[in-house]
Amino acid sequence: MDRIVKAEVADMEGVGALPRRSGELIFHDQWERRAFALGVALHEQGEFSWDDFRKYLIASISASGDISEMLDSSGPGYYEHWLAALEKMLIEKGLITSSKDLVL
Amino acid sequence: MADKHQHDVPPNPYLEKRRTATEAKALEERVRQLENLLTEKGVVSKKTLDRVVSIYENDLGPLNGAKVVARAWIDAAYRQRLLADATKAIKELGFGGLQGEHMVVVENTATVHNIVACTLCSCYPWPVLGLPPTWYKNPPYRSRIAIDPRGVLIEFGLELDDSIEVRVWDSSAEIRYLVLPERPQGTEEFSEEELAALVTRDSMIGVARVNSFS
Repeated sequence: MDRIVKAEVADMEGVGALPRRSGELIFHDQWERRAFALGVALHEQGEFSWDDFRKYLIASISASGDISEMLDSSGPGYYEHWLAALEKMLIEKGLITSSKDLVL
Repeated sequence: MADKHQHDVPPNPYLEKRRTATEAKALEERVRQLENLLTEKGVVSKKTLDRVVSIYENDLGPLNGAKVVARAWIDAAYRQRLLADATKAIKELGFGGLQGEHMVVVENTATVHNIVACTLCSCYPWPVLGLPPTWYKNPPYRSRIAIDPRGVLIEFGLELDDSIEVRVWDSSAEIRYLVLPERPQGTEEFSEEELAALVTRDSMIGVARVNSFS
């Protein structure tokens, strides 16, 4: 893997855009970093296309009715949607059998 | 809320969001299980994940540029080297990645304000500033900055006194510009690291000033 950021990941616009401040990514908790890395690394390894992942991400955010990261909200944030999209993607690709693999 | 953050972070609503301890713990556990499942299956390695986080956290934003600016503020000799040969001075700090392009650093003073643009396409000093913001690549900024720089700056919330000369630097495939912003007053006691934390991407493009609070 090159030590270079992928424009398709970093430059997402609109609903799916990564939360950033002054260009830098914003993570609140360590799990957000790990979830981010899982999505990006698996895509870079060719497990799924970024477009497919992004569609799930946008669908999850849109279904929740708002981008609550931008509000002082207690609802699911950007990386909750990211995680949901990732799990859906992994199930579709057969990398996990179902989210029952996980104790939720 | 605002006073609490005065010396810490601006009252960015995103940063205000907090999960309850229970919520955070459940999510932490869920991701840990997912990660373990995939690493145990050999789908992905923890080392790769660490590397992805490191790359996107460090190279996506303007952190490298901020370090260059902070060094120039505290080290007069470095500042001279930076203004004389930015490509070389930036490499001194270990930031490379340029492919033949030259870096030129232009210094803001009490009488001169510099702005960087790329009127033809979207040339940008990405090894120091990460990826360009969307507006930088959009035609309105690219065309209007050359015609009406003061007007564009006002839209960014920066109103310059008429006595200040505005210089617009047009980046190209060969030359990438970086603005060395003015060090804000009241930061005499700041460490190099604290100074770097104040330096924003926009201040190094020249559409903002650096404030003594980040």
